[in-house]
Amino acid sequence: MSLKPKEMNFSDTWGDLQKTVHGVITLSNIPRYVWQDRFADVYQLCVAYPESLADKLYIETKNFLDNHVKGLLEHLSTLSHDNIIYNYYECWRRYNKGIIYLHELYSYLNNQHIRKNKLSEAELIYGNHPIDDLEQMEIGELGLEIWKKNMIEPLQGSLVSAILECINQDRNNNGHLINAEVVRGVIESFVAVNKFKKRNNIELYRTLLEKPLVAASGEYFRSQADIWFQNCTITQYMERVIKLFEEESVRCQRFLHSSSHAIMKQCCEKYMVEDYLCALYNEAKSIISQERQQDMANMYILLRSVSKNLIPYMTEFKDHIIEEGLQRLNEIKGDNMCMSFVEIIMSIYRKYKEMIEKIFQSDKNFTSALDKACISIVNYSPDNKSYKSSELLAKYCDQLLKKSSKGLSEMEVDEKLTDAIIIFKYLDDKDMFQKFYSRMLAKRLIHQNSQSMDAEESMIDKLKTACGYEFTNKLHRMFTDMKISEDLTEKFNSQYLPDKRVVLSLNFHVHILQAGSWPLGQTNITSFTIPQEFTQSMQAFEKFYNCQYNGRRLTWMYHLSQGELKLCYLNKVHLITMQTFQMAILLLFENTLTMTCSEIVNTLQLNWDQFLKNCVTLVECKILLANTKELENDTVLSLNEKYYNKRTRLRITASLQKETPMETTQTITSVEEDRKLFIQATIVRIMKSRKLLKHNALIQEILSQCITFNPSISMIKKCIETLIEKQYMERARNSRDEYSYIA
Amino acid sequence: MKVKIKSWVGVATWRWVANDDTCGICRLAFENCCPDCKLPGDDCPLVWGQCSHCYHMHCIMKWLNSQQVRQLCPMCRQEWKFKE
Repeated sequence: MSLKPKEMNFSDTWGDLQKTVHGVITLSNIPRYVWQDRFADVYQLCVAYPESLADKLYIETKNFLDNHVKGLLEHLSTLSHDNIIYNYYECWRRYNKGIIYLHELYSYLNNQHIRKNKLSEAELIYGNHPIDDLEQMEIGELGLEIWKKNMIEPLQGSLVSAILECINQDRNNNGHLINAEVVRGVIESFVAVNKFKKRNNIELYRTLLEKPLVAASGEYFRSQADIWFQNCTITQYMERVIKLFEEESVRCQRFLHSSSHAIMKQCCEKYMVEDYLCALYNEAKSIISQERQQDMANMYILLRSVSKNLIPYMTEFKDHIIEEGLQRLNEIKGDNMCMSFVEIIMSIYRKYKEMIEKIFQSDKNFTSALDKACISIVNYSPDNKSYKSSELLAKYCDQLLKKSSKGLSEMEVDEKLTDAIIIFKYLDDKDMFQKFYSRMLAKRLIHQNSQSMDAEESMIDKLKTACGYEFTNKLHRMFTDMKISEDLTEKFNSQYLPDKRVVLSLNFHVHILQAGSWPLGQTNITSFTIPQEFTQSMQAFEKFYNCQYNGRRLTWMYHLSQGELKLCYLNKVHLITMQTFQMAILLLFENTLTMTCSEIVNTLQLNWDQFLKNCVTLVECKILLANTKELENDTVLSLNEKYYNKRTRLRITASLQKETPMETTQTITSVEEDRKLFIQATIVRIMKSRKLLKHNALIQEILSQCITFNPSISMIKKCIETLIEKQYMERARNSRDEYSYIA
Repeated sequence: MKVKIKSWVGVATWRWVANDDTCGICRLAFENCCPDCKLPGDDCPLVWGQCSHCYHMHCIMKWLNSQQVRQLCPMCRQEWKFKE
């Protein structure tokens, strides 16, 4: 076979070629050599001499296909109309396959003749060539185009309604459609006929099938929803809708082009969820309040695809948590309030956290709803005692960290402290908590009441992680002081005293605290004449301390000091740990058996309140006997010589070291003072950098800088007033709501 | 002896004893720290010169480092020597 162009007799060649083309398109058996000859014929026609016969070949082929498809259509119309989609599908399958082969047969025409004359993709997109209907198409495309014109267009009405019918049947038969493959095939043909198009190749599918299908399905969903809603409980309704969602999604996968899946889903949701939103929300309250978990999960599934639909549901969820929380908090009674407070909040937190994981698939929106609910619960203050939560939480930590916590292992204590941190993060008044916590920590440290230093430090680290270094640096400072004090005591006892050849009458320890870092109330300081039994040690230590540090003065905090006193006047020796004041009182009985209260107070120069507090304990634990019920000035006290306790060592300090209500109010007022100073400092800082600022902008800035508490607007206003009075700033002259900084 | 003190844990707080309330360089109270520090106390100590004037250590060090010829006390212009 020569590739040289030669003269061709078109009609003869086409006659042969046409037979083969018919064979190919009807999928008959074509021997290999015939195929090759015809393939060569196509080539020869295209390159024919003196002029190419390609265009002629194209037109003839087009006519042939045209007639062929028309013939097929006629054949189809003679067959039973009931089976139209099956018959159509059979024809399509064969034709589609045939056209692929035909495309191959015309390879030369396609590649060399047609494709060259085609507009490139770039020209199509960027050029403004009108798309020419007369443009030649590759044979494959031509075949499909002809099919579209001669087959789909005349049949589209009956085909589409048949498909819709089939899908409807499928719905009614729970997805057991016998001719699923056929339906899918027909639908695919709508997409496939446009597969050569570079743009909008699913347009036909869209208009022809998708639109009517969505409309019909919508109608179906609407009526189903209506029927179900009338006849079912909400539980059943949601179950059915979810089942339908799943089935429809499978149906989409089985029949439709992938572009339709989302549209069908939206359609489902519109008619079955959107239209019933109000009804669903109405039920949400009872579902949530009864905690019907399956229903809750189902409702979430129904609502989740549109996030704004979830909002009322989430609000309902949040309100429910708050309601439960507050109800349980209001039931707290008894003296172990702090424990129940934390336990209740944690049990609620855990319960709903688990619920969110299980039911709401850990949806972030729900987690934040839980957070909001917890904030409301934690900061709930029934009678405007907003400090209550901070105090309870601090007390909770105190109980855990104190000695004598009920035999909990270190692990358990740590877990419980982690709980406290969770609650702490929800707390609005973090500064209030800090004050309470640091007071309690100070007491634990000074009275050596801590269960373990490791636990203390790990708690402070946790607070630091939660709220930053600034927040805990005073607490750290307290620890450092304790360590320094230990070293000092050691050095004093083992180096200084032996060097100076001094022997103390008692076993001496000190805690040297840095004045500003410890939350020590000033009010407890009282005049006191220290018994000379102590003075030797104190003086020695002061000397030692002055050698160690220059320019520092020590102030002894007697009300915080304690010691161990040996009672030798009894049958059995007792070693009792008590406050310094109590030791001083007992020392007075060295030379006498009885003393009146006023004598004691005068000798020791104690103020009456302190005396009373300390002495009452001594009387209560029967070391001293009083001749009146209440201690008065002239009450006579005497040593109880029959005192007996089965334990040799005991402490009587506990009741004195408890937080008193007065201390609580002190803490609160000191927090409020601190807040005012903080706000004022913040205002000055802001004004200094801004010079001129509107009232609202200033308030916003202040609020954004207060991390550890939420200042009230009235408090901020008062602070602004104060600063104006102090002439740090003034109201701007020509503007009503502006402030300017005074340098 | 009827009673005998076995042991005693004394608690005391300390403050600076200076001849002035505020530091002559930064004008901040000795109770507080110098402007560069966050916490008063051991982290921001006071120092005394032989002329008996007292400053935050950080403040006087800054001052002395900035003096090129002779190191003088900023208050009395005597040569600055740390008091032992």
